[in-house]
Amino acid sequence: MEIPDTYYSKDEYVETASGNKVSRHTVLCGSQNIILNGKVIVQSGAIIRGDLANVRTGRYCVIGKNSVIRPPYKQFSKGIAFFPMHVGEHVFVGEGAVVSAATIGSYVYIGKNAIIGRRCVLKDCCAIEDGAVLPPETTVSSYMRYTARGTIEGGQGNPYFVPAAMQDEMINYTKSFYEHFVRAPAPAS
Amino acid sequence: MSFMQPSPVKYACSCGILNPINTLFFCRHCPKLRCGFCVTHEIESHFCSNCLENIPSTEARHKKNCCANCFDCPCCQHTLSARASTVPVVRKSEEAKEPKDGDSKGEATPPVPASSKPSAVPTTKKMYYLSCLSCRWTTRDVGIPDQGVATGTWPDNECLYQARFNALVEYFQAVVLQEKQEKLEFMRRKAPKQHKFPSLTDRTGLTVSLIRRQIGWNDKAPKAKAVITPAEATAEVEGLPENIFTEPLNLRNVTTITQRHSQPADQPTAVGSLYPQRRSLWIKRSLRCRQCEHNLIKPEYHPTSIKYRIQHFASYHVPEVVMVRCEQPLVAGKSNAILLKLTNPTIYDMTIRLLTASPPEDPQLSTEATRVAKEEPISSSPLLKAVGITLSRQNSTREVKRDVIDISNAEIVPLESEFVLNQRDDSKEFDEDVQLSTEEPKFIVWRKGNKVLLRLQFTPAEELSGLADVVLGFYMQYTYVNTVNNAQEKREPTTHVLHSRVFITAGATEQKAN
Repeated sequence: MEIPDTYYSKDEYVETASGNKVSRHTVLCGSQNIILNGKVIVQSGAIIRGDLANVRTGRYCVIGKNSVIRPPYKQFSKGIAFFPMHVGEHVFVGEGAVVSAATIGSYVYIGKNAIIGRRCVLKDCCAIEDGAVLPPETTVSSYMRYTARGTIEGGQGNPYFVPAAMQDEMINYTKSFYEHFVRAPAPAS
Repeated sequence: MSFMQPSPVKYACSCGILNPINTLFFCRHCPKLRCGFCVTHEIESHFCSNCLENIPSTEARHKKNCCANCFDCPCCQHTLSARASTVPVVRKSEEAKEPKDGDSKGEATPPVPASSKPSAVPTTKKMYYLSCLSCRWTTRDVGIPDQGVATGTWPDNECLYQARFNALVEYFQAVVLQEKQEKLEFMRRKAPKQHKFPSLTDRTGLTVSLIRRQIGWNDKAPKAKAVITPAEATAEVEGLPENIFTEPLNLRNVTTITQRHSQPADQPTAVGSLYPQRRSLWIKRSLRCRQCEHNLIKPEYHPTSIKYRIQHFASYHVPEVVMVRCEQPLVAGKSNAILLKLTNPTIYDMTIRLLTASPPEDPQLSTEATRVAKEEPISSSPLLKAVGITLSRQNSTREVKRDVIDISNAEIVPLESEFVLNQRDDSKEFDEDVQLSTEEPKFIVWRKGNKVLLRLQFTPAEELSGLADVVLGFYMQYTYVNTVNNAQEKREPTTHVLHSRVFITAGATEQKAN
C-alpha cells in the first residue's frame, strides 16, 4: 500500500537546509546537543532531551508524534550519569514511543507506544512491535522482533518475522514517508 | 501503510500459498517464486542474541545450544544482568571472604553510600549478583551466593537425574554407532569392492577398520560394552506429604507453567527453587531452493552483520505491484477503477501484460523443470538435515504443489495492450526532468523512471453483501532477463516470459445506497 500524502502547514514546520523538517510544536531541550543529519522529520508533540546528553540521528529518520527521545542514564555509587544516544539511518519511531536506548542501529522500526527502557541496544534491522515494553539493558539483535508480549522472535533468514529485506524495506518506507510529507498547497487567495 | 501491517497485494508462490512480496524469494535457476514454506531452511551460524557472540556449531552442540555467559530469568524469561555490589572484607577472618547472604542483603544495594562506616578500614571487594530488570528477581532471592567475577563462575543447576541421563545418552550413542557400523558392514559385504584404496576423507571411522584389515590385524576393535541398568517401574507411590493438608497454600510461592517449562530438568513447584537458566542460542538461516538446490539467501556469518552473501528476494526480480487507491467507494456491482503502481527492480526493460486467464507455460521452462525433478531422488526430510544427522548432502526435492485458491470476486476489464516498464536506473532518481510522454496507452496515468502508475477498471461482483472485502485477481505476465544460464554453451542472458498471479484486496464494500 502506497503511503498517502501527509500535509503540513508552512507555519507549523521548520525546514532546514539539510532537509530536516521539524515541527514547531516540539520540545527540543538543549538544541545545541541535538544533531539531525538531514532529511529527518520530527513531528509535532515530540520531545528530544538534548539537555541531558548528546542526541545524534542519521539521515531519513522519522520521530513520530508525541514520542520522547531521552538519553539513557546509569546509576553509579556517586550519583547518576547520562550517556549520549546514537540513532542510525532510516529509523522510524512510532507515535507516543518513549525511547531511552543507548544505541539504535540503522533500519530499525519502533512501533506506536513502544517503551524502550534505558540503556537498551537495538541493533541494525530489528523491529519493535506496537506497545512493546523493553526492560532496561535489553539487547535486540539484528532481524529480531520484540513483541508486545515481551518475547523475542525471528532471526536473520527467518522469513516469517522480520522481512529478510528489512534494509530495503526501511529505506523505501522512510524515503517515501519523507517524500509524501509535503507542505500543504497555499490556499488560493 | 508499512510492512508491519498486512499488505493488500499478495503474490501466489509457486507452491500455491499467497504471500506479500517481501516474504517471497525468487530462484533464478528455476525461475520461480519461492516462499518460506517451499524452501529448505539450513543453519548458517549460531550466536547468542544477548552478548552477540558467534559460537561455532560444534561448540554450540557441546554446550547444549546455550550461551556460556548469559542467563535468562527463571521468573519472567527475560535476560539477567550482572550487578556489582561492594562488600566490606573483614580483615580478621581470612576465610570469611564469601559474605553471608544476610550480610550482603543488608549492605549492598548498588549505590552503596560512600562511607557508611567511617571508622572501618576501607577494604572493599566487588561482588556480583544477577538481577532481572524486568521483574526484579535476583539470585539473592533464592540464596545463590554472590560471585567474585561477573560471568563464568555461576554454578550449574545439576538436577537429580543428571548422572542417569548422561549414562543413557552415552549408551544410546553407542547403540546408534553400532547400528551404523553394522549397516555399513552389511552394505560393504553386499556391494562389490569399488575402490582399491580406502578414502581418507571418510568420516565414519570405517577407514581405520579397513586399514587394520589390510595389514592383517584383527578388525574387531575391542568394543566397550555399555551397560545400563534398566529403569524399573514400581507400583508403590509415595504418599503426599503431611503438610500439604495442613498448611494453607500460598499461591505466590507456586511457580507458573511457563516457569516450570523453562526449567525442564527439575520443573520446580516452589519459587524458592528457581534457578538462572542459560540463554539458548539463536541461529541465522540460509534458505535453499528445494528443486535446484541453489541458495536463495545466505547471510553473512557474523552475528552483527546485516548483509547477505547471496540474496535473491522477489522484490529484486519481480515487478512490484503497489496498490495506491481506489477511485470511488467500493459498491457491489458498480464499475470502479483502481490505481496500481508497478516498479521494475531489474536493470532490463520489462514488457508487462495483465491477463485474466492463465497464460500458457513457457515450454522451455516446463520441460526443464520436469527433467530436473525426475533426476533427483526423494530423500530425507529437511528436519534431519537441519539436525546434521545425515552423512552425505541430501536434500528434500519433493515439491508440494497445491492449486492457488482463487479468492477474487471482482470482474476485471483487461488492459487493451501490453506496456513496457523501463529499467531501474539509480541515477535517474536525481534527474529533475520529467520524461517526455511518448505514445502511451490510455490506462497509464504517469510514468517516471522505472515506475508506472496505471488505472485498472474492475467491477465488484454483484452478489457481494455489505462489508465484504473486494479481491482482484489477475495474472501478471512479464519478461525477465535471466543472467544465469543452466546450459553451459550459451553465455548470453536469456529472456523468459514469466507470470505470477497477483491478488489485491481493494477494501471492503460499502452498503448499497438505495
